[in-house]
Amino acid sequence: MSLIRILWLRVLLFACLWWILAEGRLDGWLLGGVAVIAATWTSVALWPPPAHGVRLTALPGFLAFFFANSVRGGWQVALMALRGRRALQPAFLELPLNLPAGAPRILLINVLGLMPGTVGIELTGDRLRLHVLHQDLPVVAEARALERRIAALFGATT
Amino acid sequence: MTDLIMPWISGTLLIVGAFFYAAGTLGLLRFPDVYSRLHALAKADNLGLGFVLLGLALQAESIAVGLKLLLIWPLALAASAGVSYAIARRADSLGVKPWCKDSP
Repeated sequence: MSLIRILWLRVLLFACLWWILAEGRLDGWLLGGVAVIAATWTSVALWPPPAHGVRLTALPGFLAFFFANSVRGGWQVALMALRGRRALQPAFLELPLNLPAGAPRILLINVLGLMPGTVGIELTGDRLRLHVLHQDLPVVAEARALERRIAALFGATT
Repeated sequence: MTDLIMPWISGTLLIVGAFFYAAGTLGLLRFPDVYSRLHALAKADNLGLGFVLLGLALQAESIAVGLKLLLIWPLALAASAGVSYAIARRADSLGVKPWCKDSP
């Protein structure tokens, strides 16, 4: 994507955000325009456009995957909470990561905390330590599936 | 037609949300150590929040207000995921051992 297009997309995104925050009112757009420009400038300074561009075509698939797994994760932990501690068999697990450092890995750790059974403990180098609620859960396969989704989202290779 | 159905859909979503909140709180009270409790908060409560916000957004008087409610969810998710990672990491570096079935 060209630089101009990325900038326009971000301006559009922040303008939508302002419209939402102002609850659709039209009288604040002078301040809104300043806020949109400031937000775009800040986003370029913090996240320069060419690095880790998100592929918008992969976004719906990723969001669907995320929603389905949050519901599954929430449901699973809710059932465990109802059964109490006898439903648990916690364990630590080391997971070697295949994703490139930076935004893709940070997204992985954050999303893993919302997926069934896992919470990230610490990332050292290429290895992520995880806490697993029950050691028989297929967390490694699920983490790999999430990795593939994130790789597709960022257009990276695992 | 939508006026008739919408309150029911909204009400159902709110009840589902309340169930996940209750389950998350139950997990917080019943789970044995800090790591397991983080699971209950990070997953069940966030899902509950999502359902409650969706239920409220359906009742909003304009699209912008509804979207504003939905916008709370990703922000709360990001905060919650970051905070639970920070708490787990700190607990681990302080040497807090995870609860095991065999230990008392």
